[in-house]
Amino acid sequence: MSILNESVVTLGALVNKQLSALGGTVRFGGNAALYALRGLISRRIYPFHDFIVQVDYTGARSTPIMILTGFLVGMTLVAQTTPTLGRYGPQELVAGVVGVSVLRTLGPVLAAIIFAGRVGAGFTAELGTMKVGEEVQALETMGIDPIGYLVAPRFLAAVLMLPCLTICFDAAALFGGFIIGVYNFNISIEDYLDITKQFVFISNFTFGLFKSAVFAVIITVVCCYKGFSVQGSAMEVGRATMQAIVVCLVTIIFTDFVLAFVYNILQKYDLVQ
Amino acid sequence: MAGSTNIDMSRARGEGQLRSQGPVIKVEHLTKTYDDKVVLDDISFELARGRVYVIMGPSGCGKSTLLRMMIGAEAADAGHVYLDGVDTTLADKKTQEEARRKFGVLFQSAALLNGLTVAENVALPIRQHTDLLKSTIDLMVRLKLELVGMGDAAEKFPYEISGGMKKRAGLARAIALDPAIVFYDEPSAGLDPVMVGVIDKLIKDLTSKLGITSVVITHEMPSIFRIADEAIMLFGGKVVFRGSPQELRQSRLPIVRQFINGDPEGPINAPRQLAELSERLFGSAKKPAIDGGGTG
Repeated sequence: MSILNESVVTLGALVNKQLSALGGTVRFGGNAALYALRGLISRRIYPFHDFIVQVDYTGARSTPIMILTGFLVGMTLVAQTTPTLGRYGPQELVAGVVGVSVLRTLGPVLAAIIFAGRVGAGFTAELGTMKVGEEVQALETMGIDPIGYLVAPRFLAAVLMLPCLTICFDAAALFGGFIIGVYNFNISIEDYLDITKQFVFISNFTFGLFKSAVFAVIITVVCCYKGFSVQGSAMEVGRATMQAIVVCLVTIIFTDFVLAFVYNILQKYDLVQ
Repeated sequence: MAGSTNIDMSRARGEGQLRSQGPVIKVEHLTKTYDDKVVLDDISFELARGRVYVIMGPSGCGKSTLLRMMIGAEAADAGHVYLDGVDTTLADKKTQEEARRKFGVLFQSAALLNGLTVAENVALPIRQHTDLLKSTIDLMVRLKLELVGMGDAAEKFPYEISGGMKKRAGLARAIALDPAIVFYDEPSAGLDPVMVGVIDKLIKDLTSKLGITSVVITHEMPSIFRIADEAIMLFGGKVVFRGSPQELRQSRLPIVRQFINGDPEGPINAPRQLAELSERLFGSAKKPAIDGGGTG
């Protein structure tokens, strides 16, 4: 009986800890979003220059890796799908399969995963190091809210840049698939484009962009929150970065799963094609 | 240089920000416990304006915890901290922000933002809290940097300058808004003796020239005797000594004597594991020296 009691108490404490962490993250995200919007009006929240620096860091510097990865993913997808598809029907259908899967799921999810690894990890490490180096505390004592000053420009830049990077990823993946389809499997250019047009709708693309904006919020909030929660030594920075990436990856995939159901419901009521 | 500006010198001396004529800082029955360890045990004291106070004591005695509570970075379990008559432990956010403008902090690591130049670091609180023109802010920043002898390093980034220069830049930022109080957390930590002397002289000069109150957390005995108008020693969560450097030197309290002389044996015990390890390694009856490198 006492073992059962202890187990219940332990489980309760664990659930309580996780829920309070979740609550803290949500509150943190809400503050960051609010500051990001207020910062567009007031120059007191964060310097506009910091936002531009973050746009460069999160967006411009991530573009080459997004294009390269997207191109490779598109090529791999067509190379692996076309022979199987050819056994059961016209192999030209691969254009539609690749178009829909890239625009609706693969593009936003893979772009978000790369973004989490490249940019999100950077956010956690940078803010964690600032926390250890007393820079965050210094801002507080100067009466500057660190969430507004440090997190808000990152939040805004990420929410604007990840959808842009997803467009780059999508375009590169579609182009990579097109190259392999046309030159390796001898699908005619007209057929490839025609099938793509038949299968792919604008709503696939716009919903994909909506997803990537949601993923950007998740990545920024989780990674910055983890960075701010660092306490003690530099070793904690590494641990927090690893935790942030794991939480981001699981949350992104879970959110994608939930949003897939949302899309299906919207389709059912003819709100999307 | 100061004479050529239009800066209100009464404010530049930190006077304009003070409202009450009483003690500039009042700590009342402050208590803090971590897990089962009582770090601060019902501590009370008052600090008058325009003087240098040194808060000293062995590592882990609660010096840094006390500092964090005085600057509002950590909540107390019980008790109150009054800054210029305002109870910051009970104040709302706005009042706390107003209270924050009355003090500057020089952190142990200087805590300069690495992405900003030295000048931008000093300008940060001014930009945040005033509507002054950029040219005026630049002038104020130059003035503060000249005060700490850092005029030549204004455009350098923190990672391009030495530890001592970082401390001076951090000090320029701490006095950027002409505060009435400046807190120093281990200002001489990690510096060579000459640079410690430079920082000590700066603390004395800024206190006398700007009329500010300086609260210095340290356990460097030479610095304490050089700069302190009054020393407060913490031990076991209590204030065990308060007095002038002269009184400190003449004190017969065993704790104070041991701390001043750096004796390994005395009422301030080193952790038992260290003592045991020392005995195992060296077979000596003498206990190891007290660790003097922590932040308290």
